[in-house]
Amino acid sequence: MNWGTWLDYTVNGLVIGNIYALLAVGLALIFGVANLINFAHGSIYTVGAYVGWVCITHLHLPLLLTVPLVLLASAVLGVAIERLALRPLHNASRIAPLLATIGISLVLDQVTQLVFTPNPRALPSPLPDWRFQIGGGSIGTLDVLILAVGLGTAGVLYAFLRFTKLGWAVRATAQDMDAAKQMGVDTNRVNMSVFAIASALGGLSGMLVGMYYNNIDPGMSFDATLKGVVAQIIGGMGNVPGAIAGSLLLGLIESYGIALFGTSYRNLFAFVLLILILIVRPNGLFSSAKETPPEPMTGSFVARGKPLAIPRPVLVAVAVLAVFVPFVDSDYVVQTATNALLYGLLALSLTLVAGTVGMVSLGHAGLLAIGAYASSLMAIELGLPVTLSIALAGVVTAVIGTLLVFPAFRMRGHYVSIATLAIGQIVALVILNWNSLTRGPIGISGIPPLSFAGIPLYDAPQAYWFVLVVVVALALLQARVLSSHLGRTWRALRDDDVAARAHGIATDRYKAMAFAFGGFGAGVGGAVTAHLYSYINHETFNAQISVLALTIAILGGLGNITGALLGSVLLVGLPEVFRGLAEYRMLIYGVVLLLLIRVRPQGLLGTA
Amino acid sequence: MLRVQGVSRRFGGLLAVNGIDLELRAGELVSIIGPNGAGKTTLFNLISGHDRPDGGRVTLEGRDVTGFSPERLAGLGLARTFQHGRVFANLSVMDNVLIGGHTHLKAARPALPGIGALAELLLALVRPRSVRAEEAALRAEVTGILGLFGDRLVPRIDHPAHSLSYANRRRVEIARALALRPRLLLLDEPTAGMNETETMEIQQIVGELKAQGHTILLIEHKLGMVMRLSDRVLVMDGGRAIAEGPPERVRHDPAVIEAYLGNSATGGETPAEMAAVA
Amino acid sequence: MSRPLLELDKINSFYGPVQVHFDLSLHVNAGEIVCLLGGNASGKSTTMKTILGLMRPRSGTVTFDGQVISGLETPRIIRAGIGSVPEARRLFGAMTVRENLLMGAFIRNDAAGIRDDLARVLGLFPRLHERLGQRAGTLSGGEQQMVAMARALMGRPRLICMDEPTMGLSPRFVDVVLELIATINREGVSVFMVEQNASLALQIAHRGYVLQTGRIALSGPAATLARDPRIRDAYLGGEVAA
Repeated sequence: MNWGTWLDYTVNGLVIGNIYALLAVGLALIFGVANLINFAHGSIYTVGAYVGWVCITHLHLPLLLTVPLVLLASAVLGVAIERLALRPLHNASRIAPLLATIGISLVLDQVTQLVFTPNPRALPSPLPDWRFQIGGGSIGTLDVLILAVGLGTAGVLYAFLRFTKLGWAVRATAQDMDAAKQMGVDTNRVNMSVFAIASALGGLSGMLVGMYYNNIDPGMSFDATLKGVVAQIIGGMGNVPGAIAGSLLLGLIESYGIALFGTSYRNLFAFVLLILILIVRPNGLFSSAKETPPEPMTGSFVARGKPLAIPRPVLVAVAVLAVFVPFVDSDYVVQTATNALLYGLLALSLTLVAGTVGMVSLGHAGLLAIGAYASSLMAIELGLPVTLSIALAGVVTAVIGTLLVFPAFRMRGHYVSIATLAIGQIVALVILNWNSLTRGPIGISGIPPLSFAGIPLYDAPQAYWFVLVVVVALALLQARVLSSHLGRTWRALRDDDVAARAHGIATDRYKAMAFAFGGFGAGVGGAVTAHLYSYINHETFNAQISVLALTIAILGGLGNITGALLGSVLLVGLPEVFRGLAEYRMLIYGVVLLLLIRVRPQGLLGTA
Repeated sequence: MLRVQGVSRRFGGLLAVNGIDLELRAGELVSIIGPNGAGKTTLFNLISGHDRPDGGRVTLEGRDVTGFSPERLAGLGLARTFQHGRVFANLSVMDNVLIGGHTHLKAARPALPGIGALAELLLALVRPRSVRAEEAALRAEVTGILGLFGDRLVPRIDHPAHSLSYANRRRVEIARALALRPRLLLLDEPTAGMNETETMEIQQIVGELKAQGHTILLIEHKLGMVMRLSDRVLVMDGGRAIAEGPPERVRHDPAVIEAYLGNSATGGETPAEMAAVA
Repeated sequence: MSRPLLELDKINSFYGPVQVHFDLSLHVNAGEIVCLLGGNASGKSTTMKTILGLMRPRSGTVTFDGQVISGLETPRIIRAGIGSVPEARRLFGAMTVRENLLMGAFIRNDAAGIRDDLARVLGLFPRLHERLGQRAGTLSGGEQQMVAMARALMGRPRLICMDEPTMGLSPRFVDVVLELIATINREGVSVFMVEQNASLALQIAHRGYVLQTGRIALSGPAATLARDPRIRDAYLGGEVAA
């Protein structure tokens, strides 16, 4: 590659870096004053992009009018989120607002999709398309605009924080909220202002990205959140200048990475970098020391209360009834029930990890993917019988999953969620890029159907019974483990890891055991799914499934085995039964998640 | 039994613990007293492995354990309670105390190097007779320990810890530490937040433990209890040891009175009056 | 006698399941220095939090200058005319001394008055003059305590609440800080201070209360309290003879 091309990649990296910076700065401000990673940030970015699209392509407004409108609309949205969804959670557990922002992001993305359709839209830049030649490379007007906006924002933000009264209040609140209150600072107002500023910048970022690629779609929000979070963690959580530096670094690394390895590796770099930073310098590149928080921040979202005791005869009766579901004589109902049971498997695994052990994993779908690929490949390439390949896939997932999450065992609270989210993404990206093993983007087709004792199970009721047996067996195993010393050991670790360690409980060992057990179940679930679908690719098990699984687990009551199964029947089954609702499924999940966090954190059956 | 030599810990610019020496012989009860912020709890954390000293050495039964992890120290027989009481809120009283017995559960440490964790998981699933017997024995032991606290905990054996009164939570913590069958017991303000009667109960229990031969290091603000139970007292202020010795002597030490009340003694004339209190 | 500036009336407060205050009543008259003494865990700091609105009592009222302030948000209470020197100082460590002092004037909008007050406060704390551009977190403990006091003064409060102002200070600085508290008081600001160090606090206070496990065990003029042997009992955990 010649110098000109390098220069182009550098400009591209800086431009992307500036866009990340607009996101990351907002995330850093919010983290500073509210101690929260705002997972809805990418959704605001998407809304900003669509507001820009409406202004430019429908209302034909000039850019000078479009930008203020985008800023205003995004700011209003940010304020609404803070006021309506987050402030009421002030006294809830620390992970509750984070989960709430996930719910908000589901809702916003779905509303965007319903209003604007899921189809991508072109967002043309209204700027003249001049290109300036520098050295052997070139720079376009939009590049210049984005760089200018980036620099300008950094300058304005610096002046705001340094010279205005509100800016001082923001800094004081970020450093010590109680002390700021004692200076007469209305920290609620500070919070709201920060959400307004952060959201305005996020929305602007979305619009600029849309113009840069001349393309926007409702699915762009998730990636944006993740990139902003990665950039912020590189720079140190809550550190505004650090967020800018981290963003530029991330932009450049991605750009050079694409130059060297190709586009499909882009996100892999981002997430591997994230994991490395979390392990090596959890306080970011620019912080001086690695300090552990003095008091434990427990990441668990486990409400107090006793789980509802369901008498054993009732459970047995329900299980027996479940056997007769296929006699409804509707393949659709049976398939839906099978689907619900498969989610039940995932939720069983997650309720163990997030509920019993208290590590709120946001990347659980990655385990499904590992299991699905492992079983499919073993069945196709090695010709193993399907039943055996499914069982082995469970073991493979247990091993790989535990090893992957191992670095997160030492992390707490929000960091666990981010790390697992990134790990889930890494799994998908490795699948995408490891062509020789996984057939890359083409995916795997022709996966043999479920079979039992050599007899393929083609029709829906047979598959249903197969899955039912697996679910019941795994649920019983999980119940048995929980009734042993492991159950109390895991829950002790969740409730207070400091006290647990003082009584000889080795954290890593027990978290690994939980992940191995949960990984086995999730791997089996993924494997069964693969054999049912007969085709899978790297997107079959996406982050939405992870979020859905978490919603199911919370709905049932974290740590509650019966709850996980009930939750999946309700959340997966009901929208299908009322067919009209199918289109609004994700919206419903988002609303359910928000409502649960707010009014019934212990779920339907109570946390265990 | 326990020897602390020149242990220091710095937080930012503040020397929270500054060159503390302390020795504890088997069967002794030594108390650490001192005003808020004197560094008592930090010293506890340095001994129990929850924090690492910046300088100095900690030896337990002749073995250098400086910087050992808390779980390893627990395995060596060191048990502790925490200043503000740290029970497992969602676990029942029984389960809380059973956790205390974790270190001597054979089922939790199968003798299979490398795959020990896997073996532990399988044992928990299969639960052969030996595992069940061990669990039953531990439960019996725990029931015995809970009996120490009269009818305070026994009737609430299945209640989750978060539903307990503050005093009862502190009792659960002590019970949990005892279930570890400690060779050395560290109690951090076991009577904090308790009223007179409750304090007397704890005092009696700690006294019984001492009589049974337990080696105990105690942080306590209620000096009456300290004076009555301790073989020796270490007084800390500003991270340093300002006095050490038998309670009789410490209570008459002007440096101690000054640390507690200020630099010119207030009120009654002689330290003897102070002694009369205790 | 006129109505007290600050009055706590039958406060009962809880920290989780633990009751911290039992019908706690006390008051501060305009112009007074009043200290609240007590040993560890006697409920002193909770009293401060209750006045400042950082904690809500389950029952009872706090009145400041005739206005009921219990139940108000902290910023409103500060605006009513109460300044706070928090326990452990709680400066904004990454901001400069100057910025910290100006944060103290956050509730005010009179730029000229703030400038004058800054000069006046620096006159009281000349040591801070040379430290104005330095990050507050890099100061020594004694200097930080001065910044915290100066910061509270910048809001032109009628009452300053100080939580353990001498904690963690070297003896030399303790005297300096006490002298400053007396000076501040002479300038017309009433002071309510929570202190563990009884003899020191009683040197400068007009009146004092001794808190023991959430109840006022002793109270009276500072000089009387300083001679009362029972104060020791209260500190060292014995029963106070009624």
